[in-house]
Amino acid sequence: MTPVIEIKDYSWQYLNTDRPALKQINLTIEEGSFVGIIGPNGAGKTSLAYSMDGLIPGQYNGIKNGVVNVFGKEVEEYAKGELQKLVGVVFSDPEAQFTSMTVEDELVFGMENIGMSVPEIRERLEWVTALTDLTPLLEKPPYEISGGQKQRVALAAVLAMTPQILILDEPTSMLDPVSRMRIFDVLAKLKKEQNNTIIIIEHSLENLIPLADRMLLLADGELVLADETQAFFQHMTFLLEKGVHPPGSMRFFHELALRGHYAGPMPLTGDRAYEQLKTLQNNSDTP
Amino acid sequence: MNKTLLGYVPEESPIYAIHPFVKLFFLLIVSLFPLFVTAPDWNIGIMVVTLLLMWVSRVDMKILRIYAPVAISMGSIILLSYTVLGGVHPEYQLITRIAGIDIYWERIRDAIIVYFRILPMITTMVFFLTTSRERDVIVAMRSIRVPFVVTYIFAMALRAAGMVLEDFQIVRQAEQARGFDPAGKSIPYKIRQYVMYMIPLFALSLRRSEEFTNALVARGYAFTGEASKIKRADYILTHYSFKWYDLFFTVLIAVLFIALLVLRYGFGAFGIEDSWLIDTLRTALL
Repeated sequence: MTPVIEIKDYSWQYLNTDRPALKQINLTIEEGSFVGIIGPNGAGKTSLAYSMDGLIPGQYNGIKNGVVNVFGKEVEEYAKGELQKLVGVVFSDPEAQFTSMTVEDELVFGMENIGMSVPEIRERLEWVTALTDLTPLLEKPPYEISGGQKQRVALAAVLAMTPQILILDEPTSMLDPVSRMRIFDVLAKLKKEQNNTIIIIEHSLENLIPLADRMLLLADGELVLADETQAFFQHMTFLLEKGVHPPGSMRFFHELALRGHYAGPMPLTGDRAYEQLKTLQNNSDTP
Repeated sequence: MNKTLLGYVPEESPIYAIHPFVKLFFLLIVSLFPLFVTAPDWNIGIMVVTLLLMWVSRVDMKILRIYAPVAISMGSIILLSYTVLGGVHPEYQLITRIAGIDIYWERIRDAIIVYFRILPMITTMVFFLTTSRERDVIVAMRSIRVPFVVTYIFAMALRAAGMVLEDFQIVRQAEQARGFDPAGKSIPYKIRQYVMYMIPLFALSLRRSEEFTNALVARGYAFTGEASKIKRADYILTHYSFKWYDLFFTVLIAVLFIALLVLRYGFGAFGIEDSWLIDTLRTALL
């Protein structure tokens, strides 16, 4: 697959801080992949996301070393607004990113900025509102709707701009479990129906793991683990040491593995855990 | 009623069928009417017509109660400025003397004239705010070709005001949850303690502006206009069309304004000498 983002020996330190937010990051993200980024608070996840959208160094002062290439071009080399046509970012606080008076205006704002015509806007608006189930809310002010709806509006506003790469920075951190599921449903649809590259920073691993092709773990500004999702969670002891809390079913199988009862792959979903548990039971029943 | 950042607007209203430009035109032109009308009777007439329009537009008339204290205090300030603080004018007709201060008929008359010039202007503004959703204001501005960046700054100012108010509520609740209660304390104490609200509010505002800027950049917007050199689609305007009755109302407002100017300066109408109210008051006081 074609790499869409290539990060080489990249370090970033904000001005007036005593240590870098990101240290010697080397990373390649391929087209169409769904990448999950996890790590404790202050690990540098948001800084990494901002670096891929050009917000760093564009909007922040600091010292940059290394290279961040998006579609083969350094982020700083893109003209204003050009990179945003390719990379869309959804922030964790939807409230803070609303810039318009109605949901419809909010969805349209980005499309107008990148120069879409009225028929194009109409078409994209229909598509994105159907995808995110926002049609009944179009006339409402974005500050009056629920938290889950707000985050869907924020996601839809970015999706409407048809970015090839979508970066979501803890999009469900302020949501209840039902609203969180709805956001992941939209992402699942996107993964299935579109060929977007999706990079998501997320603490809710139960929802993230079934969708992610690849997982990255950041700690203290360093990329300490990067692998395909299945292989990533084979490093359970390391992940637990780093403060990652995998789903209960995975921890259960890890406990079994530690006690010598299990040596297979960590189950990534509840269904898979059930099947593996049944297999284990059948094996133990066999004389 | 629906809450907007500007106030409360009716959920359903016949005025929503009117193009936002007509409402803005009404605000801008009709609020000029009282400047050319000296007789309070006519200005009261303008106010009554505006209130009738509000009623027809299904505005909850109870909303007017919010503005009553403003109207009363403004009236009192004007009256005091013109009478008590109006100075000594031996050429004027003395009505009475209160605590050594001469109260003249002409000063009372002038205060009434000024007051009834301001009231219809405020009523027109209230009419606009209670019948216009935020989007209407933006559409009205864009339809008269106000540059996008200006309308956008206006929209962001509205949005920012709403966000600051929300943040203020959060900060206040957080302070109260930790036992801070200025109720019943003296005003100097309250002012001093308001710093407790202002510091976190200021810090929050800084954070908000950073997030807001990031959101704008991430959505491809730049105030320099470099982000998109091609013309903006102005999609919102496609929802609105200027119908025959919009044209009718626009022309009607313009014609009324021209007629007012002609009558005032051509025929001397709407002057103080035509005021039944002033005549009646003079008879009563002198």
